[in-house]
Amino acid sequence: MLNRSIRFFELTGMNWLIPIANLLAGKNPKAQLNQLLASIGAPLVAFLIFLLLWSTAASNIKTSLGNLPGPSQTWEQFESLVDEHTAARDKEAAFYQRQEDRNAKRIEQGKEPKDIRPYTGAPTFFDQIFTSLYTVFIGFAVATIIAIPVGIICGLNSTIYTGLNPLIQIFRPVSPLAWLPIVTMVVSALYTTDDPFFAKSFITSALTVTLCSLWPTLINTTVGVSTIDKDLINVSRVLRLSWMTQIFKVVIPASLPMIFTGLRLSLGVGWMVLIAAEMLAQNPGLGKFVWDEFQNGSSNSLGRILVAVFVIGIIGFLLDRIMLTLQKSVSHDKTQEIR
Amino acid sequence: MEKQNNNAPTLTKRLTSLQKMIGATLASVTFTLATPAFAEELELEKEDLKFGFIKLTDMAPLAIAYEKGYFEDEGLYVTLEAQANWKVLLDRVIDGQLDGAHMLAGQPLGATIGFGTQAHVITAFSMDLNGNGITVSNEIWDQMKPNIPKDESGKPVHPIKADALKPVVEKYKSDGKPFNMGMVFPVSTHNYELRYWLAAGGIHPGYYAPHKGDTSGTIDADALLSVTPPPQMPATLEAGTIYGYCVGEPWNQQAVFKGIGVPVVTDYEIWKNNPEKVFGVSNKWAEENPNTHLAVVKALIRAAKWLDDNDNANRPEAVKILAQPNYVGADYDVIANSMTGTFEYEKGDKREVPDFNVFFRYYATYPYYSDAIWYLTQMRRWGQISEEKPDSWFHEIAKKVYKPEIYLEAAQLLIDEGKMSKEDFPFDTDGFRDPQTHFIDNITYDGRKPNDYLKKFSIGLNGDTVL
Amino acid sequence: MANSYLDISGVSIEFPTPNGPFKALDNVNLKIEKGEFISLIGHSGCGKSTVLNIVAGLYNATQGGVILQGKEVLQPGPDRAVVFQNHSLFPWLTCYENVRLAVDKVMKGKPKAERHEWTEYNLELVHMGHAMHKRPDEISGGMKQRVGIARALSMQPKVLLMDEPFGALDALTRAHMQDSLTEIQAELNNTVIMITHDVDEAVLLSDRIVMMTNGPAATIGEILHVDLERPRERLELADDPTYNHYRAEVLKFLHERHAKKDVPQSTKKATTTTSDAADKKEEDKKDVAA
Repeated sequence: MLNRSIRFFELTGMNWLIPIANLLAGKNPKAQLNQLLASIGAPLVAFLIFLLLWSTAASNIKTSLGNLPGPSQTWEQFESLVDEHTAARDKEAAFYQRQEDRNAKRIEQGKEPKDIRPYTGAPTFFDQIFTSLYTVFIGFAVATIIAIPVGIICGLNSTIYTGLNPLIQIFRPVSPLAWLPIVTMVVSALYTTDDPFFAKSFITSALTVTLCSLWPTLINTTVGVSTIDKDLINVSRVLRLSWMTQIFKVVIPASLPMIFTGLRLSLGVGWMVLIAAEMLAQNPGLGKFVWDEFQNGSSNSLGRILVAVFVIGIIGFLLDRIMLTLQKSVSHDKTQEIR
Repeated sequence: MEKQNNNAPTLTKRLTSLQKMIGATLASVTFTLATPAFAEELELEKEDLKFGFIKLTDMAPLAIAYEKGYFEDEGLYVTLEAQANWKVLLDRVIDGQLDGAHMLAGQPLGATIGFGTQAHVITAFSMDLNGNGITVSNEIWDQMKPNIPKDESGKPVHPIKADALKPVVEKYKSDGKPFNMGMVFPVSTHNYELRYWLAAGGIHPGYYAPHKGDTSGTIDADALLSVTPPPQMPATLEAGTIYGYCVGEPWNQQAVFKGIGVPVVTDYEIWKNNPEKVFGVSNKWAEENPNTHLAVVKALIRAAKWLDDNDNANRPEAVKILAQPNYVGADYDVIANSMTGTFEYEKGDKREVPDFNVFFRYYATYPYYSDAIWYLTQMRRWGQISEEKPDSWFHEIAKKVYKPEIYLEAAQLLIDEGKMSKEDFPFDTDGFRDPQTHFIDNITYDGRKPNDYLKKFSIGLNGDTVL
Repeated sequence: MANSYLDISGVSIEFPTPNGPFKALDNVNLKIEKGEFISLIGHSGCGKSTVLNIVAGLYNATQGGVILQGKEVLQPGPDRAVVFQNHSLFPWLTCYENVRLAVDKVMKGKPKAERHEWTEYNLELVHMGHAMHKRPDEISGGMKQRVGIARALSMQPKVLLMDEPFGALDALTRAHMQDSLTEIQAELNNTVIMITHDVDEAVLLSDRIVMMTNGPAATIGEILHVDLERPRERLELADDPTYNHYRAEVLKFLHERHAKKDVPQSTKKATTTTSDAADKKEEDKKDVAA
């Protein structure tokens, strides 16, 4: 049990939890405490200093929306967002109840009951978080589906790579803000169904995420595939593995660490891009939340935006940890340190 | 689909044309006869709707119709969604992402005549009267103040005319500094009101020349007007990019609260009870969903009535709703200032303006042809319509875009359901208000004769003038 | 002329370079009998690896060719198993899985149990039975090389090709591995071609030592028959005059007759060997990708 949890912490990069686990298991408490102090102490002190600096700076910065909110005001706004969320859930329940009542009445009158509609109220902050996560995963998944095969082809065939490389290098640094208008117009032009399964704004922001998060995976896959140990390829030639076996048994496993390095970068880029895309495409999500609050210009707005800033940061961090864990678990060389 | 509503729409259509033929007076008789078929429930073509709005207090009828359950009473499941700016909003109505939206009165007209995005957009519901103001930065206010006459208590005499601003603009001009001001959209009420006010004080706001590809509207201008989305007005003023702006609430009161500017005049003073926003839908949507459209208008009429009921008694509750972050989202106090019948000019100079926001009184929700024609005259005046058009053209466009027949049909349904009374609606109008006089420059407007009206202005295009 | 088991005849190879074709090997002729253990020795860059790769079928000769049991070698195949210098185990597979991959290939159609047994047998043969479910990064360099050998042996090749199999190991481990190889060779009597830098290793293990001239256009300079009785004991041989004579012969060839001149850096490019040139190409590709 102890070893398993330690292994898990190592894998997820949460090494600072190891002494706690050891401590709980009663293993050499004094040494563990010292180690804990060393690994948690420094970040804790840094965080406290940050809070102190923030609250002093905040009380000295006067904006036209009042003082810049400090940690406590931001925390208050977080609580009020939670309250709003519960209030919205109550409203949602009432909304469904009304539909049930109306249907009951209709049945009484001998009429067909109507379908129960999904809640039409405004999404809360927490709904927006899930919308954002959903959007980024769709965009990221599409990018992955495109980038890995193309990367493998580029890595295997240097002619194709030489041909595509200039294009990749040109498109890679393009900002999402530049893509967005084009994506918006193209989506409007091509995505015309009467009963769309996805909202256009959703497709627009997901595609923008795809366009921007494509490149790290593609480039890393290419590099990963093209730098596979020549001997490994020779082994597979000596074994006369078929083309497909060679791809799935040798090429992909061999370049997995690089592919995952790319995926991790891609997801980071995608998450960053998404916030900007949501702001501009007006797709529901955290970006729109920030934008709406900025537009509202109420005395609470800055505090609410700061809550969003932290949430965006924490989610970005968690996504990175998840990818790091995956990256470590596919790494061939377990002794290598990946940060 | 087809089977479901094979009775209702044809009947509706027939009634509509019938009503056109016999005129408004007879219409009510027809309705009383026909009502049993409807009184129960409209056969809705579409029940799940999404409406767009811009964060302004005059979106209130939409918020109230939602929160008070008026939409649900009609069997409609509506989602309200704030839009980034007026252009995005209009584009999304045109391409069908939105079923309808809170629009500037000039937007359906502009779109239908092809100024900006070309599309046939119509309206059957006017959302409010008045509600806008012109704000200048503190710096400009200090320079204007000496030119404004004071009353015995030392307060500025209202309305403040642009005459007081003229010397300031001239000084900037002679210093070679462009005098920039913000408005919200080229075909917005705010653009025309700001231009009206400036021109009435002898400041030229500039012409458009779309036939030459010039849509900046700054030809011959003393003051240069540019587009800024309403919620960003205060921030843009604060940044010094513009010296003043014309916008709806709460963005004038916001400037007072933030201490970054001073509202100098409300549009109530520029033109008493001027028509403002409308509820616009695309013509295609209206043709495909006639009953749904009726149901929407019904809900909106009820919401507007609620907002004005008992001498604005419900306004504090409305302000509370509007202050929610998903609607207007500004602080309660800021919205309450104008919504509850007062308006704060210079900090501390709070005055009674009971009709600052009118949602239902004075037949505010009826889509008058004459209102449409006023906007068209202003488009001609400032060159957005580059050539001379006969009076008949103005009337034809007004009828193409403004749909009082749909409005009256909805009104009649509400009367039959006992939710409204006949006196609430102008059933005997021919769609033209009587000649209106309450303009800041005392010029009379008669919607029946747009070309004559245009000739009365000293600044502005008229007759066969082409730039 | 009687047909040999393995016949390398008239093999020359040229590689295209930006400065025109580079001739790496010129007219290499060698006949090998079944069960013979051959060492290829020469200075680095003399084309030893190229010879091995041509026999493996990884390269195709520009002129001449290789005939194995009367059949021309045109492409790589499991009948010419290769043990690479850097073990080249698939790092994501366990030792067992690495060997099993080869076993599955050569024993296609045989029952699962039989393949499993054969895999384990080969791992036991190289004394790796205890760690067969470990991954390559969990075992030492010498162990990895053992697994590499087990994989090659499991293919039951007609010729076993070894490219400096112990070159990357420390002296003690290397000695240990040589003893293991001797043992296995005594049991299986494979036909082996081994590249080495190590004179002792060559003399200790080989029936014949093939000494190569320096490149470019390298070829076989001399062939030395090692007539020492097997089993050969490392310690006893240390004082054996015959052994020392063979050793001296090889050293003389390498350091007197074909001493490698110190080549100035600027002209080094022209004398780069084939395998180096190939590596070079790889390097370039990496640069572009990065």
